[in-house]
Amino acid sequence: MATARDRQFLDPAVVARLGTLELKARTVVEGFISGLHRSPFKGFSVEFAEYRQYIHGDDLSTIDWKVYARSDRHFVKKFEEETNVHCHLLVDVSASMSYGSRGISKFEYAACLAASLGYLMNRQRDAVGLTAFSDRIVDALPSSTRPGHLRNVLIALDRLEVGSRTNVAKPLHQIADAMTKRGMVVLISDLLDDPEAVIRGLKHFQYRGSDVLVFQILDPDELDFPFDRATRFEDLETGDEVMAVPAAVREHYLKQIGGLIDRYRRELGAAGIDYQLLETSEPLEMALLSYLSTRSRTA
Amino acid sequence: MSFLSPLFLAGAIAAAVPIVLHLLNRHTEQRVPFAAVALLKGAPVEHTSRRRLRELLLLAMRVAALVLLALAFARPFLKASSAAGDRLTVIAIDTSLSMSAPATVARARRLAADAVHAAPAGADVGLVRFADRAEVIIQPTSDRGAASAALERVAPGFGSTKYAAGLATAAELFAGRSGTIVVVTDLQAGGWDAGDQAAVPESVRVDVRDVGPAPENLAVEALRADGDRVIASVRNTSERARSVRTRLTVDGHPAGDTTIMIDAHGSAEATLPRVPSAGVAVATIDDPGGIPGDNIRYALLGKDSTTSALVVTTTGDLDKDAWYVRHALITPRGTAASLVGRWNDEDLRDFGSIVVLSTRGLERPGREQLAKYVNRGGGLLIAAGPDVDGEVIADVLGSGAPIEIKGPNGDPERVAAQQPQTLAPADVRHPIFKAFGAEVASLGLVQFRAVARVTGPSCQAIARFTSGDPAVLDCAAGNGHAIVIASDLNDRWNDFPIHASFVPFVDQAVRYLSGTASRGSEYLVSEVPAEVPPIPGVATVKTGSGTRRVVVNVDPRESQVDRMSPEEFQASIAHLQGGAAQKANADTNEQENRQHLWQYLLAAMILAVAVEGVVAARMA
Repeated sequence: MATARDRQFLDPAVVARLGTLELKARTVVEGFISGLHRSPFKGFSVEFAEYRQYIHGDDLSTIDWKVYARSDRHFVKKFEEETNVHCHLLVDVSASMSYGSRGISKFEYAACLAASLGYLMNRQRDAVGLTAFSDRIVDALPSSTRPGHLRNVLIALDRLEVGSRTNVAKPLHQIADAMTKRGMVVLISDLLDDPEAVIRGLKHFQYRGSDVLVFQILDPDELDFPFDRATRFEDLETGDEVMAVPAAVREHYLKQIGGLIDRYRRELGAAGIDYQLLETSEPLEMALLSYLSTRSRTA
Repeated sequence: MSFLSPLFLAGAIAAAVPIVLHLLNRHTEQRVPFAAVALLKGAPVEHTSRRRLRELLLLAMRVAALVLLALAFARPFLKASSAAGDRLTVIAIDTSLSMSAPATVARARRLAADAVHAAPAGADVGLVRFADRAEVIIQPTSDRGAASAALERVAPGFGSTKYAAGLATAAELFAGRSGTIVVVTDLQAGGWDAGDQAAVPESVRVDVRDVGPAPENLAVEALRADGDRVIASVRNTSERARSVRTRLTVDGHPAGDTTIMIDAHGSAEATLPRVPSAGVAVATIDDPGGIPGDNIRYALLGKDSTTSALVVTTTGDLDKDAWYVRHALITPRGTAASLVGRWNDEDLRDFGSIVVLSTRGLERPGREQLAKYVNRGGGLLIAAGPDVDGEVIADVLGSGAPIEIKGPNGDPERVAAQQPQTLAPADVRHPIFKAFGAEVASLGLVQFRAVARVTGPSCQAIARFTSGDPAVLDCAAGNGHAIVIASDLNDRWNDFPIHASFVPFVDQAVRYLSGTASRGSEYLVSEVPAEVPPIPGVATVKTGSGTRRVVVNVDPRESQVDRMSPEEFQASIAHLQGGAAQKANADTNEQENRQHLWQYLLAAMILAVAVEGVVAARMA
């Protein structure tokens, strides 16, 4: 049964079937912002700029009632986007991201998410940068607020293809070393790698003065392990095969994946790094909320 | 191990179904490209292996259940086998009278001993002796010495040759085993009777060891009283004419002797006049090189003497009603059909056979007497002529031999106008026609102007008319027989009585019927009742009113030298092999019924299904 949240937000699988990444991002973000105006998060994403006399047609929710109490006149709050936050989107394009079971792969989900975040950042006049990596950096665009930069980002995202093996820590260190400005780093990955190395890499960004937001993207199959027949599992990155009877290994697997998630959540939280686990079946808007939360702290 | 219904083993093919399903499932296991394979690698692999083992156990149980089910339905049994192996050699040695010449006995023992030694290594050896009856002397054994020693004790007796009896007893010893029956015999042609059936399993070979022709022999074939004379028939089987001195005693006292000359392969009658009118007559001849048992013959004189046949006519006057039959038979006695009911059982037992030429006046008591006579083993010769009513005959023979006789349904003129028919023997081996030899074709000269239609499920047509209808039938009835000729014997519907074949036909028919009956006073060795020892001589038997004397003689056919070739002997057995298969089937059925292995297999199948259920439940 669909939940209220499901009804409110778009199904990622539906979003994935839309045309270009730009269209997907716009659909997600505009819908998200539209929903945000009706939500408790209103005014959460932008900064206050000035008051303006209320005119017919203005949203009543923007009326500042305190000013009205003081002046007995209706003023609405006018918000202004910040422009001084540099955001880096780090997108994992390793082969493991190609797995998908609900009509959308982790990579497609990650690309949509990155595009949506980029769109939202651009809308808030934040500088947006993009780095794609697997066991190495595959593509990189420095952060910028230039007109048309968002389009470059979206084109770069559109052209990305899943690569080879995962080595999250190495590119993270490279990127952290190359960063010249403090800002905000958003990592989008399934994090199926050595957690210790990954966390160490993320802490490197903190060391360089940036806030870090981590989205761990996992497919529902990877969280629930719903297989029932004897199955030969083939590693997407290494090609290794493991023949297993799901009923026999399910408990062990769920314990392993649960332990991995818990460790990321625990250790990243302890390090002050925002961590958000996302299933590919979850609406992208949930990720945008996490982003805005982190950004508000950064700004 | 053997199977009663091996075709059910084909059901074991169903065992391939779970195997195929197992293999198909194995080959169609799903392959899933997966990102978190690294997290699976630490999974307890032994669980997978154990599951594989369980799957194999499940497969094994399912296959076993199906195979066990097929095996159970195939009804397996363990064949009975001796310690020495499955092969068996049974030596069946002929101990009939014809084998009793001194030289023949020695040859037979030597051939039998050779057969014992020639038996395959490891094979058991059994020993059977047979004449008209068969007896197992040595059960199958690996002890060749015991078999050889038993052979030394084997001596010929006075019985007739019955190959079927010997082969049947020998075949019973095999009980599903394979091997060889070695028949040591003189291949006397009379050893196969019409209707004999020997049961020889197909896996058993029959090997014939011929002891060679009988030596020159003289035999007293018959002894009868004719008024105050006693006539002895003597046969000479040698290649030269021989002079034979025949001596007669009556009740142990010499009653005369006479010497006659007999041509080669001929017979002659020695007549001894003016002998006592009552007593036991014994005729003897001297024949030191021949068969000793047929040099003597016994007969009862006087009122104890056996009358050859009782002829039932309308009036009882044989000269009037059955002139031809009366002269074809030796001392026949006539009676009116209306008086048959007055005869008592003992009186009728004195007759070797009863010739029924008329049923006019044959009332219920008479019919019952005739029925009783036949049921006790007597023989009836029935001429289905104008004086015989088919319904009365059907009543006499009763349900034991249902018979239907339909006359020509015409007045004498119409009968005379019918197209004449002739007859031809359908079974030249039947004893009635066997005596004709090459002259059997002479029966075809008889013209039958009118015939009855005779049918009966228990009747065998031994001669047929040119129309294809049965002419002479041999009907089994109770313990006795009835020979039915589908016309008359008094020159009314045919010209049979004026042909030379008439007398031998009637004589052979009566002899055949007498042979099947236990006549009151004279028995062949092979026919003696239980209280009479099967040796030639005089014996006393109890009757309802006291005791009486009977005489026992050897079968005169044993003195005949007609022989068959080993090939002819084998050919007779080949016709009987189907029966042997049935016997073998019966044996295997009995073995299977004793062992009930299918029940154990079914129990094992149920166990396999139960185990399969438990394992499957654990894997679910």
